[in-house]
Amino acid sequence: MNSLVGSRSAKALPDGGVAPGAPQIRPGLKIRTKLLLLVLLLLVIPWMGYESVREMEKFLLAGQEQALELTTQGISSILGNRTDLFDPGVGVPEIIGRPLTSLLGEIEEPLAIDAPAEIWAASVGPLTHFSGFGLFECGPEYRPESLAVRHGLALGPDSVFAFFEIDDDVLVFRDPTLLSLDANDQIRMTIQRNNGEILRYLLTAQAPGRLSVYLMRANWKDVVDGEALREIVGTLDPLTGGFAVKVRIPRDLLGVGARLKFEVVDIDDRNTREIEQIISTEPDPGSHEFGSVRLVTPELAKLIQPLYISEANITVWDRSYRVRAQVGSVVPPAREAFGMTPPEKASLLKRAEDQLIRFLGWILRSPARGLADMPADSSAEDQRVLARVLAEGEPSTERRRYGDAKLIVTASPIWAQGEIEGAVLIKQSANKLLALQYKTLQRFTILFLAVFVFLSLAILIFSTRLTYRVGRLQRETEQAASSEGRLLKDRIRAGARSSDELGSLTRSISSMLHNLGQYTRYLERLPDTLAHELHNPLNVVNSSLENLQYNHRELTDDKHLQRARNGIGRLRSIITSLTEAASLKEALSQEQEQLERFDLRSLIQNCVEGYQSANPGYRIVATLAPTSAWIFGVPDRIAQMLDKLIDNAIAFGAQNGLIIVNLRHGGDNLELTVSNDGPTLPPEIADSLFDPMVSSTRDARKTHLGLGLYIVRLVTEFHKGTVAARNRRGGTGVDVVVSLPTLTGQ
Amino acid sequence: MATIIAIVEDDTDQRENYSDVLMAHGYEVRAYPDRPSAQIAFERELPDLALLDIMLGEDMDGGFDLCMQLRNLSPTLPIIFLTARDSDADRISSQRMTAWDYITKPVSLEFLVARVHALLRISEQLQSQPEPEHNVSVGSLVVNEKSMLVHWKENPVNLTLTEFWIIESLSRNPGHVKTYDALSDVTRQGLVERNTINGYIRRIRNKFREIDPAFDRIQTVHGTGYKWEQDHG
Repeated sequence: MNSLVGSRSAKALPDGGVAPGAPQIRPGLKIRTKLLLLVLLLLVIPWMGYESVREMEKFLLAGQEQALELTTQGISSILGNRTDLFDPGVGVPEIIGRPLTSLLGEIEEPLAIDAPAEIWAASVGPLTHFSGFGLFECGPEYRPESLAVRHGLALGPDSVFAFFEIDDDVLVFRDPTLLSLDANDQIRMTIQRNNGEILRYLLTAQAPGRLSVYLMRANWKDVVDGEALREIVGTLDPLTGGFAVKVRIPRDLLGVGARLKFEVVDIDDRNTREIEQIISTEPDPGSHEFGSVRLVTPELAKLIQPLYISEANITVWDRSYRVRAQVGSVVPPAREAFGMTPPEKASLLKRAEDQLIRFLGWILRSPARGLADMPADSSAEDQRVLARVLAEGEPSTERRRYGDAKLIVTASPIWAQGEIEGAVLIKQSANKLLALQYKTLQRFTILFLAVFVFLSLAILIFSTRLTYRVGRLQRETEQAASSEGRLLKDRIRAGARSSDELGSLTRSISSMLHNLGQYTRYLERLPDTLAHELHNPLNVVNSSLENLQYNHRELTDDKHLQRARNGIGRLRSIITSLTEAASLKEALSQEQEQLERFDLRSLIQNCVEGYQSANPGYRIVATLAPTSAWIFGVPDRIAQMLDKLIDNAIAFGAQNGLIIVNLRHGGDNLELTVSNDGPTLPPEIADSLFDPMVSSTRDARKTHLGLGLYIVRLVTEFHKGTVAARNRRGGTGVDVVVSLPTLTGQ
Repeated sequence: MATIIAIVEDDTDQRENYSDVLMAHGYEVRAYPDRPSAQIAFERELPDLALLDIMLGEDMDGGFDLCMQLRNLSPTLPIIFLTARDSDADRISSQRMTAWDYITKPVSLEFLVARVHALLRISEQLQSQPEPEHNVSVGSLVVNEKSMLVHWKENPVNLTLTEFWIIESLSRNPGHVKTYDALSDVTRQGLVERNTINGYIRRIRNKFREIDPAFDRIQTVHGTGYKWEQDHG
C-alpha cells in the first residue's frame, strides 16, 4: 500500500497555521517514579518494627522491674525479724582485697606465734597471691623475684591471724643505729575502725624473730607513741629467697566492722635505704576509699549467696548504711556475651558486613556500647535510694541511665519488730534485655533491608518493563498514523501477544487500526470500484445512442442527441479521473525499476508551452532556474503530476489569471512551485488537501473529485519528495510547492 | 458465406447493441450471455472473429477461459477483449493468450466496427502468404500494414491492434513528433487521455525491450507527444 508507506510528505500549511502536533508530553510523575515512591511507603515497616520493639522494650523493662521488685521484697521479708543478722557484733572485719563473697576462714584453736610457717600457711587457708603487676607503687621495672606476696588471713576465737609469705631477693633489717623506722623491709597495717578512726601500725624487725610494732602517723615516718606495742604480736622467719611473717591481732583491737589493709614495703639497698616498691592487699587503691564502711555479716552473706541473679548486684545494708552482705555484679563477667569479638582480618565482604553492623549498632543504639557507660561505683545514688527507703519504710524502684547504660535499682526495707532494721538493694543491668532486643532489631533490620532492596529491584524492573511497553505502544500508536491522520500501519505487532491488560490494549488498538485500515482501503478503492461499475451502463447508453444515430441518420445533428453525447463525454472523463489515481498507484508499484535520469527543467519548459497553447485563456509563465535540473524518476509521471498541478491552478485560479511555474534549487532539493491568483485555501481542508476526494470547489458545472492533488502527492511520494500548499502573501493566491530530491554528484 | 462474429457479453443491452450494429454492417452475429453456452457453440462451430467480455456474470475470468478454448481450437482466430477492466494485469493476460486486441469500455460502436473490419482483413492476409511488397522498413523496423506484422531487427514483435496502429503512425514519419491528439485518433477509441497513450507507449516499449533490451527509438517529447527516432547509422 503506497499511501501507507509515505509518511509526512504531504503537509498543508495554511497561512501561519501550525499543523496539529504530536501528543504533548506533560510534566509530572511517570509510572516508574510513582511505583518507586510507593515502594518508599515500605519504609513504614521498619519504623513500625522499631516502634514495636521500643514498646516491647518498655514492656520488658517494666516486667524486669516488677520481677526485681518482687525479688527485693522477697529478700527483705526473708531477712525480716532477724535482728541477729544486723547485730553489730556479728560483723567481721572486711579485708580489703579479698573477694567479699569468700568469707574469712575460721579456726577453732588459736595459732601459736612460734609455730612453723608451714602450719600457719596451712591453717589460714588458701593464700591469695599479690604481685606488683599493674600497681602504681611498683615501677615498670618491677621483677617478681624482687618482691611478691602471698597472704592469708584467718579468724580465731579472740584474734585475727595474718600470714605473709614474701619473696625478696635482699632482706633489709632495721639498722638500730638509725632513728627512722621505715628505712627497712616492713609491713604496714591500716585499721579503720567502726567509728571511722584510722590506726596505722608499722611492723619491722632488727633481726629474724619478733617484730616491733609501732603506731604511726599518716606519713608513716613519725611515731605516735615511741613505745613498741605489745597487743599485736608478729615474727619474721627468713626463708630461701624471702621471708615469712606471722601476725596475731587481737579482735578487741579491731572492734566490730573494722577494715583492714596490709602493705608490704620492700627496700633492697642497705646504704640508700630507699623504698623500692610497695605491694598492697588492696588491688585498686582508688576504688574503696576509707570512709565507706563495709561490715560483712557472714550469716547474711550466706543467706543471700543462693540468690544470685545474673547481672545483678544484691546488697544488704544496715541502718548505718553499712553493707552487710553483697552478691553478684552488674557488669557481666565477659563482654563477649554481647558478641563484641574483636574484628579479625576478614574479607572485603565480611568487612562490609561488619561496617554495616557497626552502622546498625550506631543507628539502633547497641546496648553493648552502653556497658562502657556503666559506672564502677554508683554508691552515691544508692545512698539516696537507701535513705529514702530507710526513712519512709516503703519499697522504692528507680530506673537509671548512665549514657546508654540502663540500670534498674529497687530497694526494700527490712523490718524487725516494727522497726526498720536495714534494706535490701538490688541493682540489675537492663542492658542484657536490651541486647536481646537489639539482636532482634538487628536481625529484623537486615531482613527488612534485604526485602526492601529485593522489592525495590523487582518493582524497578517491573516498572521499567511496563514503562518500556507503554512507551513502545505509544510510539507504535503514534507511528500508525501520520500527523494528518493518514493510516501508515494497520496493526501493532510488538507486545500484542502479552496476556495482560496492556497486551489486550495493544490488541484492541491493533484491531482498531486493522479495521480503520480496511475502511481506508475500501475508501481508496471506492473510486475504482465505482468507475468499474459505471462503465457498463455508460457503455449501454453510449452504444444505444450510436445505434440510434446509425439507424436514424436524420438525427445526427439533433441537439438533444448532441447533448446526450456531451453528457456521456463528461461522464467518461469523470470515470477516467476516478480510475486514474487507482491505476496510477498500481502502475507506480511496477515502475520502481523504470527510473531514469532526466532534466526536469526542460521537461517543465516543454510542458508549459503545451499548456499555454491548450489554455489560451490563461497566462502560464515558467520562471525556471537557468541551469539544468537533473532528477532521477519517471518523466511520464512527473509530466502527469505537472498536468494535475496546472489543472488545479486553472480550476482554482482567477478567471483568465496568471499561473506561474517556478523551479529553483534549494539545497539538496528542487523546489517546483505552481502559483495561482485564486482565492486562499479554506482552513477546514488545509490538512487534507492532498487526500483523495478532497476538493474545495462548490461549482456544479465543474467536476472536481479532489483526485488531482492526490495524484500529485502519489507521484511526489514515489519520487521521495514532499508537497505542501500554502496561501500566498497578500490575501489571494495559493502556492503548491513540490520538493524533489535532486541528483547529486552528476 | 457470411462472416460469423461471436459476441460473449453478459449484459443484454450491450450484447444486443453490439449485435445490432454488426448485423447492420452485414455480419452474421452469434451472441452468448455466458461461458457454458458459448463453449458448447464454439465446439460445434468456430466463428471468424470473437468479441469477448472478460467478466461474465459471476464468472470473473470467463472471457479468459473462452479465449484459451478458442486458441486451442484455432491458433489464428482474431479475438478482441472488450471489457470494463483496465488493469495492466488483465492486458498482460490477454496478451499471453495472444488476443489480438484489448478495448476498454465504453467503446464507440463506430470504432468497434472499424476494428472488426481491420482484424478480419488482417486475418485473411495471414491465411494467405504474407506479401513482402507491403513491408515498410524504417531502419531496423519492418511494418507490414496488411498482415499487422511488426519486425524489429528481424524478430517479430507481438502487438495488439491498437499498439500496431501507434507504431505504424509513429514510424510513418520518423523524426516527427506525433502529438497526443494525433495518437488519440490513431487508437480509434474516441476520446483518449494522455495517460492512456502513455500506457500504450510504455507497453510497446516493453515489448520491444523483450527482444532488444537497448531499444530506445520511441522518444518522449514531454508535454507534447512521442516520435520515432531515425536510425543514425
